[in-house]
Amino acid sequence: MNFSTDVQANGVAILPEILMTVLAVTVLALDAFGPKSRRRELGYLAGIGLLVVAVMVWLIGQWPERELSDQLVLGGMIRHDALAQIFRTMVILAGALSCLISMGVPRLKIRGDYYALLIVAVIGASLMSAAADLIMVFIALETASITLYLLAGYLRDDDRSTEAGLKYFLFGAFTSAILLYGMSLLYGFTGETNLYLLGNWMAINGPPDAPVVLALALIAVGFGFKISAVPFHFWTPDVYEGAPTPITALLSTASKAAGFGLLLRFLMAVFPPPELVNAFDVHDYSQFWVQLIAVLAVVTMSLGNVLALVQQNIKRLLAYSSIAQAGYVLIGVAAISTDRSGDGVAAAAFYLFMYVLTNILAFGVVILFANATGSEQIADFGGLARRSRGLALAMTVALLSLAGIPPAAGFIGKFLLFRAAVDANLVWLALIGVVNVIIGLYYYLVIVKVMYMNPAPDDAAPIPVSAPYRWALWLTAVGVILLGTVAVTPLLDWATDAAHALHVLI
Amino acid sequence: MEITVEAIVFLVFSAITLGGALQVVLTRNLFHAALYLMLSLFGVAGLFVLLTAPFLAGAQVVIYIGAITILIIFAIMLTPQVTRVLKVHHTQWPVALALAALLFVGLVWTQTPLADELGADGWSADFTVEDPADVPADSLTDLGKSLVDPERYMLPFEAASLLLMAALIGAVLLVNRPDDNPDAEAAPAAGARPDQSG
Amino acid sequence: MVPLWMYLVVAAGLFCIGLFGVLTRRNAIAILMSIELMLNAVNINLVAFWRYQTPDKIGGQVFAAFVFVVAAAEAVVGLALILAIYRRRRTVIAEDVDMLKW
Repeated sequence: MNFSTDVQANGVAILPEILMTVLAVTVLALDAFGPKSRRRELGYLAGIGLLVVAVMVWLIGQWPERELSDQLVLGGMIRHDALAQIFRTMVILAGALSCLISMGVPRLKIRGDYYALLIVAVIGASLMSAAADLIMVFIALETASITLYLLAGYLRDDDRSTEAGLKYFLFGAFTSAILLYGMSLLYGFTGETNLYLLGNWMAINGPPDAPVVLALALIAVGFGFKISAVPFHFWTPDVYEGAPTPITALLSTASKAAGFGLLLRFLMAVFPPPELVNAFDVHDYSQFWVQLIAVLAVVTMSLGNVLALVQQNIKRLLAYSSIAQAGYVLIGVAAISTDRSGDGVAAAAFYLFMYVLTNILAFGVVILFANATGSEQIADFGGLARRSRGLALAMTVALLSLAGIPPAAGFIGKFLLFRAAVDANLVWLALIGVVNVIIGLYYYLVIVKVMYMNPAPDDAAPIPVSAPYRWALWLTAVGVILLGTVAVTPLLDWATDAAHALHVLI
Repeated sequence: MEITVEAIVFLVFSAITLGGALQVVLTRNLFHAALYLMLSLFGVAGLFVLLTAPFLAGAQVVIYIGAITILIIFAIMLTPQVTRVLKVHHTQWPVALALAALLFVGLVWTQTPLADELGADGWSADFTVEDPADVPADSLTDLGKSLVDPERYMLPFEAASLLLMAALIGAVLLVNRPDDNPDAEAAPAAGARPDQSG
Repeated sequence: MVPLWMYLVVAAGLFCIGLFGVLTRRNAIAILMSIELMLNAVNINLVAFWRYQTPDKIGGQVFAAFVFVVAAAEAVVGLALILAIYRRRRTVIAEDVDMLKW
């Protein structure tokens, strides 16, 4: 297989990263040398800059697809395909919205270095979505992770934040060492670092199952951490609770989405289903990871939902909820099928896209509420509907989407995932998913009930909503509703393109 | 395998590596642990020399031993009371031991001549190679060129530079930042401590 | 030369020792040191595979060089976080950071 040598194609493939690097450096320079009085506007610069890049990636994604060999650009380091485009759009969008909601946090809003680090994290996540070589996978993963460790511990005068940073760091460095060992074994089996060449070699030359399963297990630990799947989720509640809330939003959306994008590409390229290999009598390692992922999906969504039931703190609740949501997406990963329209990859991509918007919306409301009241307890959300009708409505949209109630996008997302599971003969998995959705309904709707039915505290005052917030909340709330109604078809078409990009004959 | 000079050197370096590593995880005194870490990393550098990777051996000495462990020793000295703690291990160490031992057995089983037991004939042949092809003479030049070649490893190289920049900025911010109070933003960083992190 | 599998056994040993250290040590700096051991095991693997299987392709060495870079960045960030905590609480015993805790 040859890699693309077209200079123009190579340039377009990393244009978003180049622009984001320029943006990060500009923010840093303005922070250091710009007028101090206008520092507050750095958040606008970072947020709107990322938003522009996200739209640009989406536009590039509308260009016609090219041959596989033309898509593997820059020496096969990244693959410029529909899957990369849709996941990049998600993570950059998540980054942009996180910048906007950071502008309401007193200790973050004027710090240019904070926005610069956030942009670097987004660059890492964006490269993760496209990486097609073990070396690139590793560097992209670490670029995203290391900056996120720093961001999680950014409020160094806040014990919870630094502890969250340290805990995240120790777990992250540990699991990435395990992942790396698995990758070194894959390199050793084949002598290749490119994911596609590697997978092709393995399928045709077929090492015995035991060493491949061992390497797969080591790699699953690393990815499991990134997407916070059970049993690699220990860090999630503490880190989500302790980190600055906009970073929690970023962790639960961009980092998780990029992890899934990478996971999908990695599994499909390195352990391809036999239909995708252009040879006779190939080894099928995909059966192992389908079983593994199905089991992970069951434990992840069940444990996440059950533990979410007992939470009192809204950030912890959203942390367990995000674990459960990752479990639903894993259903889509397990429900991979190479010949049907109801495809797991498409469903997972669709689900993650709407999940990114939904979670940012929820965390945006949490930040505003915490700033105004100093509380993150669910009980204190009482009477929110009377204190600020807009906020209560926004939170309701987010919760309905997470719970899977129409017209919010979560309903369609869950429907697509379960349909993909049924199509892939994993009916039992779909049934467990449905049971979990029903458990989830309870704790999401309790919050809605608290906001609308419970009385407000005596000293309740209206909650002010600043301009960047109004923008971010409106954008996401409308997005969540649109994705659940009229925008389903365009997004699903795009997600299906992304799925087809993985189903290529190597 | 005959007993050659190379084999003896290999065994010595392996013993240094593994013995040092064991001391790192077992010894009570953190400062000693850091010194053992140096020893262990030195053994790894020796293994790199045996594997005809002199550049990496040099990088190992300069980066790992010269920079990372020194940084760790700085951190140990800046956080003094931790060296006096009596209980250094978690109580569930048997579980960890079992896990590590299980993984070790699995790795050895699949990567040594034992692997032929797994059923695929000749699988372990890859692992019993004793006389690999020679390393090309321009290997080092190739390594350097490949890092700046857009058709090879330029992209990860650039991404790594971005990562280092972010790590540098972030680390400096965490340990040496004037004040989080927005009102004090304009004031000079008089109260800031000198950066001790090295 | 020494057969390849011997290097792999050394790497596996080093990795498992590091794993044990991460899971049992209570001090954050000690955990960091154990992680460095694991990364070194990865590097032995990479270089050994490169030398014995594809000495004509530089991939393995490049990979190992990137592991150095990332290890350095990780150490800097980790120690910065550790020092930030120490300044406030005068301890870096990772009480809550029990790697096996559910």
